[in-house]
Amino acid sequence: MTDTVNYTESVERRALRAAVADLGARYGQRYFLDKARTGGKTTELWAEAGKLGYLGVAVPEEFGGGGGGIGDLAAVCEELAATGCPLLLMVVSPAICATVIARFGTDEQKQRWLPGFAEGTTTMAFAITEPDAGSNAHELATSVRRDGTDWVLNGGKYYISGVDEADAVLVVARHVDENGQRLLPSLMIVPTDAPGFTFQPIEMDIVSPEKQFTCFFDDVRLPSDALVGAPDAGLAQIFAGLNPERIMAASFSTGMARFALDKATAYARTRSVWGTPIGAHQGIAHPLAQCAMQLELARLMTQKAAALYDAGQDKAAGEAANIAKYAAAEACAATVDQAIQVHGGNGIASEYGLGALLTASRVSRIAPVSREMILNFVAQHTLKLPRSY
Amino acid sequence: MNIVVLVKQVPDTWSERKLTDADHTLDRESADAVLDEINERAVEEALKLQEAHGGEVTVLAMGPDRATEAIRKALSMGADKAIHVSDAALHGSDVLATAKVLAKAIGTVEGVDLVIAGNEATDGRAGAIPAILAELLGLPQVTQVRKVEIDGTTVKAERETEEGVAFLEATLPAVVSVTEKINEPRYPSFKGIMAAKKKKVDTLSVADLGLDPAEVGLTGAWSSVLEAAPKPPRSAGQRVEDDGNGGAQIAEYLVGQKLI
Repeated sequence: MTDTVNYTESVERRALRAAVADLGARYGQRYFLDKARTGGKTTELWAEAGKLGYLGVAVPEEFGGGGGGIGDLAAVCEELAATGCPLLLMVVSPAICATVIARFGTDEQKQRWLPGFAEGTTTMAFAITEPDAGSNAHELATSVRRDGTDWVLNGGKYYISGVDEADAVLVVARHVDENGQRLLPSLMIVPTDAPGFTFQPIEMDIVSPEKQFTCFFDDVRLPSDALVGAPDAGLAQIFAGLNPERIMAASFSTGMARFALDKATAYARTRSVWGTPIGAHQGIAHPLAQCAMQLELARLMTQKAAALYDAGQDKAAGEAANIAKYAAAEACAATVDQAIQVHGGNGIASEYGLGALLTASRVSRIAPVSREMILNFVAQHTLKLPRSY
Repeated sequence: MNIVVLVKQVPDTWSERKLTDADHTLDRESADAVLDEINERAVEEALKLQEAHGGEVTVLAMGPDRATEAIRKALSMGADKAIHVSDAALHGSDVLATAKVLAKAIGTVEGVDLVIAGNEATDGRAGAIPAILAELLGLPQVTQVRKVEIDGTTVKAERETEEGVAFLEATLPAVVSVTEKINEPRYPSFKGIMAAKKKKVDTLSVADLGLDPAEVGLTGAWSSVLEAAPKPPRSAGQRVEDDGNGGAQIAEYLVGQKLI
């Protein structure tokens, strides 16, 4: 990184955004909601985006990817969300799983998995959260132990997205030694059809084609090469995947917020009561202007986080990614809420497609890391305050 | 099979398009500029023919510096190289001058088998360039087609009109213009976008093409625009109160307009 900050994106990044926006617009929110409400998946859009290399933008070129960075992948995620087609598994499969394997995987693991990520033909879920540990990797109960050359996985995870659509799940588990002592966590690639691995959908009040799952691992036997990277690499590898996740989650939120803001402003310009478009009233205009500013600030921070990450500054990227994720979630929840308010009763009518976003926008404050955990992070790491847990 | 595709940067049809007060030429600053959609189809058709028959696809654009964005989009779709004719003297060129410039520029490409254009740009709407160009190049014109095939040294095409479909044939080289029914253009892939900046774009001036600046632009135009006024806003239309026979009244109206 040089000292000069570039506030405009490259010609290529802008061309990528335009191309992805065109593709997303052809599908549109109607497609997305129909899939969500009929139990379908956004398979066609995912496949087409994959074929065009949009899902593999950040995979290294030698494995068939675009050789770009997380900033490119985040642009794809944001543009699709801005057309009403947020693809949740983009946050997980190409962002966390492909990144971790590309950075820490063995040559064989890269050969095995990265070409599929490059084309979007491989989907991998990510499993860290547990009922008694949240996403605190120090407290995870899921364990992995050696048995000859194999690994044996035991435990469970919950709120894991898209397991039913995935070829495999990247599971965070802690090593246990012969004495049952829990050691460092590692990342294990677990095929979804592995014997002993079962998963159950969690009923959610959210309009999304992607489902949430509880996962159970009962003596799941895995080959030696299921472990990504070195057995003693510990948390560093996991955090390397979580920064892209936060940047992607932020982009998912800013995209959704843009979609809602576009709808709200179009409505405020055209909906006329007593001869005046409602957008002429400051009671309508000012809150929307606030949303626009909040949104733009969140986008700026997201771009900063992506630029730092792509420049290899993991530590600075960690702080920026957390701040971006927080800001984007708040912008998204506030903008969807305001867009509904601007629409009055129409804001809840199915035809306008905003009510369907209400829970989804609210989720952005909770997942993949909650607002409170980010506040903890900033308090502890940025402000050097005593840790609270 | 070497193909030249004519592309044009136009104001986005979704934005408000205006003429300048000074000389009634297009106000390019007032609207977002995009690659004309019909040109995306022309590029798509060229790429399909290239996939089947090999050769090179060259994109040719005449327009201000900013037209590089439209050229880049065509290159990101997969065209091999580009020629950009850019010269302040071209400002205000009519279709005759434009065709002259394009013909000269096509002459700089070796071994051209086919020139593909959109049937009509969304800004000028003259729809005359492909025909004039064919005349200037002394090539057969196969215009307004919805389907193109190459069979040896013959181009076969289908032209759909209100009266029916004409099946056309011409010997290569030829000029073809396509309608919006020809195909669905591809999206630029990420690799295509990244590769576009490395592709060769030759920028040529009017002098480079051996033309006299007086022959082109506003001064060289055979006609001039004296006055222009925006279209009046739509009138309120006819309001039908439905007191039970609303359907019949709508049908009557449509019959009156010869729509049903």
